[in-house]
Amino acid sequence: MEQANSVRPDGEPKAGILAHLEGLEAQMSRPCKRSKELQQARAEESALGTKIHELRRLRDKLRAEVNQQRARGKASSANVESGQTVEIGEQEVLERKQESVKAILQAYRFTGLSGKQTSRGVCVCISTAFEGNLLDSYFVDLVIQRPLWIHHHSIPVFIPLEKIAAKYLQTDVQRFLFSLCESLNAYAGRKYQADRLQSDFAAFLIRPLQRNSLCNLLSFTYKVDLMGQSSFCARLLYKDLTATLPTDATVTYQGKRKDGHAEKYCHMLHSSA
Amino acid sequence: MAMDTERAEMRALEAEIAVLQQASKQLPAPWEDGARVRKSFQEIHQSDSAGWESSKDPKTHLRHLEAELSFLSMLTGFNITDYSKKTEDLTSTEMTEESIKKVLQRHRLSGSCHVVTFQLEFQILEIQNKENLSSVITDLSIVMEPTEYSELSEFVSRAEERRDLFMFFRGLHFFVEWCEYRKRTFKYFKDKYPDMVHLPKGACSLCMGIRSTSRPGFELVIVWRIQIDEEGKVSPVLDLLTKIPQRALELDKNRVIETAPLSFRTLLGVLGIEAAVECLIRLLHAGNE
Repeated sequence: MEQANSVRPDGEPKAGILAHLEGLEAQMSRPCKRSKELQQARAEESALGTKIHELRRLRDKLRAEVNQQRARGKASSANVESGQTVEIGEQEVLERKQESVKAILQAYRFTGLSGKQTSRGVCVCISTAFEGNLLDSYFVDLVIQRPLWIHHHSIPVFIPLEKIAAKYLQTDVQRFLFSLCESLNAYAGRKYQADRLQSDFAAFLIRPLQRNSLCNLLSFTYKVDLMGQSSFCARLLYKDLTATLPTDATVTYQGKRKDGHAEKYCHMLHSSA
Repeated sequence: MAMDTERAEMRALEAEIAVLQQASKQLPAPWEDGARVRKSFQEIHQSDSAGWESSKDPKTHLRHLEAELSFLSMLTGFNITDYSKKTEDLTSTEMTEESIKKVLQRHRLSGSCHVVTFQLEFQILEIQNKENLSSVITDLSIVMEPTEYSELSEFVSRAEERRDLFMFFRGLHFFVEWCEYRKRTFKYFKDKYPDMVHLPKGACSLCMGIRSTSRPGFELVIVWRIQIDEEGKVSPVLDLLTKIPQRALELDKNRVIETAPLSFRTLLGVLGIEAAVECLIRLLHAGNE
């Protein structure tokens, strides 16, 4: 006890008692640790046990549910079968009538204007075509309230929908729809023609066709024959947005040699427009 | 160790639960699901009038369909009474190899638009290849009644030539609207001025005559034609014809009568149809006093 030990910073000598106590402490902690480990292990085991218990419960519940559903399924199909054997004649007649009415509802799309009732109004579908080629369809979802309003639509932004709606939507829905029909069909026709020019006459176009989104202003440079040197620049303007034919056409000759073609063409276009 | 076996059991249970959960999702729970679906529809609807497919009673379903049909007929102005379709598969074996499908549809459609009835037969050729689907009307035949609207027959032939089905319906709609408006307008004036206004062909007249009761021999005839142009655009064309006794013409130094048709056109542009016609009638009416 009077062993001299190293001096601690605060000056107190580390007494042998303390060292002894430390030794005893160390002895104590080893079994403590062990017991802690044991405790942990025991805790894990019981946690696992409860988890398994819960999983078993969930599994049994699901098994019961699935079996119930299967049983119900068989019962319902049995019910349906029994229901069908009764009143089969009347059922057939009704079904045939239903089919015929459904067919007529489908046939409305051939008028260019068809629609389906929605919970708040009607969703109108406008079909477009040009010279027998069926093109894109557009829809307008109308809410039937006072005032009538457009919920949403797939009309391109450059079609004057707001203008047409402001003019007719509240006073004459039919007129609104047919006006829209006119504008959309005219646009579809112009676009179709521009697309065909671009694809079918690509060999004659010196530069790619330039057009605006409404396809009412077209500009292109072309040559009359593949071997030829002379080229012509054409500019077509469609002032009437409900038409598929241009209202103004300008053809200018680009080249050195004088050619009677340009004047002839201009005459032809201006007389037909 | 005991823990290992327990862990194994846990893994087995988890796997079984996963399988059971999958199975319960796939099985339809008919009554429950049906009820749930119907309830959410009702939540969205304000009224139960729409014809929904989930409606179990076939009679109500049919009523809903018929209501939808009459609504569509009112919305478009066309009343389709009959429709049938036949499909013919024209895909050859070479086409199938290149995954091209060719189908010809034959459609028959009949219906009416106000007093005009139509019967259409048209063919649509559908070609589907890897990139796109093209649908082209390859044939169109239109039969119309009544045929007294002579302006229509030319329009119908043009529509058939161009196989432009939509242009036909659009044009028909606007044409019939204008015809109805012409009929209403003529009737209005006939009712208002029964002694002066004369409709030679009755309600479906193209012309309206205005006579002065005090000055027989003077007659103004308004000819109202409804034109359909190349693109199917419908517009009214009104003309004024004058029937004046020879002596009055001789007295007309200012050539008022000669310029009357042109003046009428200008008047139309300024006042519109009804006001311009009213104006003319008043002129002759005033002459009575």
